[in-house]
Amino acid sequence: MRRLWRALPGPAPLRALELLVLAAVALVALFFLFEWAGGLLDSGGVIGA
Amino acid sequence: MGWALIVGACLVLAFLGYQLYITDLLNDRVQAEAMASLDAELAERRSQLPEPEEVPVTVPEEEPETPAFVRTSFVPEAGVPEGEALGRMTIEKIGVDEVVFEGVDSDTLKKGPGHMPWTPVPGQPGNAVISGHRTTYGRPFYDLDQLEVGDEIHVETAVGEHVFEIREIHIVEPDDVWVTEEKPGAWLTLTTCHPHFSARERLVVQAELVQGPNAEYASLLASQAEAEQDA
Repeated sequence: MRRLWRALPGPAPLRALELLVLAAVALVALFFLFEWAGGLLDSGGVIGA
Repeated sequence: MGWALIVGACLVLAFLGYQLYITDLLNDRVQAEAMASLDAELAERRSQLPEPEEVPVTVPEEEPETPAFVRTSFVPEAGVPEGEALGRMTIEKIGVDEVVFEGVDSDTLKKGPGHMPWTPVPGQPGNAVISGHRTTYGRPFYDLDQLEVGDEIHVETAVGEHVFEIREIHIVEPDDVWVTEEKPGAWLTLTTCHPHFSARERLVVQAELVQGPNAEYASLLASQAEAEQDA
C-alpha cells in the first residue's frame, strides 16, 4: 500500500484522489469478475441460453 | 508469495460471501416488494381479461368415425412486459413461495424465477417454461431435486390458480431445448442448474395441469392429440 502511494504521481491530495479512483475501478472489476464466476456456479438454469 | 496467497484467499472468501449471502439479501428485498404489490397487480390484470371463451373440442371416442363435440370454457391470458411480475408459484413440499417474473435474462432471474416469454403463460395450452437459480439469488430451486412424480406445483396468474402435477423429471444438457417444446394439454416445465454449485447440467421438472380455470380444456386437448396420434 505504501509502495503504491509512493508510485502515484502528484501532490498528496491528488494522490488520494487517484487512490480513490483506483479503488473504485478495482471494486467494479471485482464485481464483474464475481458476476462472471457466479455464472459458472449457477447460471439461472435457462435451457438453450 | 505469502501476500499473494492471503489476497487470493480473501478474494475467494469475498466471492463466496457475495454469491451465497449478498445475492440472497438482494433477492429477498426484491421478492418482498414484489410480493407486497402482486395481489393488486393481479387484480388489475384480472379486470382487463376477456370473458371466458366457449370453445368446441372434437374428441374422437372409441370409433374414430364418430367424434364427440364438446363445448368447454377457456380463459386466454397473454404474457406481461419483460421484467414485470407474472404471478406467484408455490411448491409446498420444498417451501417455495416466489413471485415469478416475465423473462429469463440474467437481470430478471436475479429477482426470482423467470418465465420464458416465448412459451405460453402457465395455465394456457402448451408448455410454459420457468427457470430459476439453484444456489444464488435467493436459490428458489435449491431443493427442486427433492420433488417426485405426483407432487403438486401451484401457480397463480391473473386468470386464477392453476395446479400442476409432476409427471416427469429429467437431468439434461444445458442446450437440450426439447424439454421446452410444445406438449399436448397444458404443462409447466421448471428448469434449474444441476448439480448444486455447478451450471454443468439442467434439472428439469415437467408437470401437467390438473386443476384450474383451463384444466378441462387442456385435458380435452390432450385427449384429442392422443386420439389423433393413435389414428
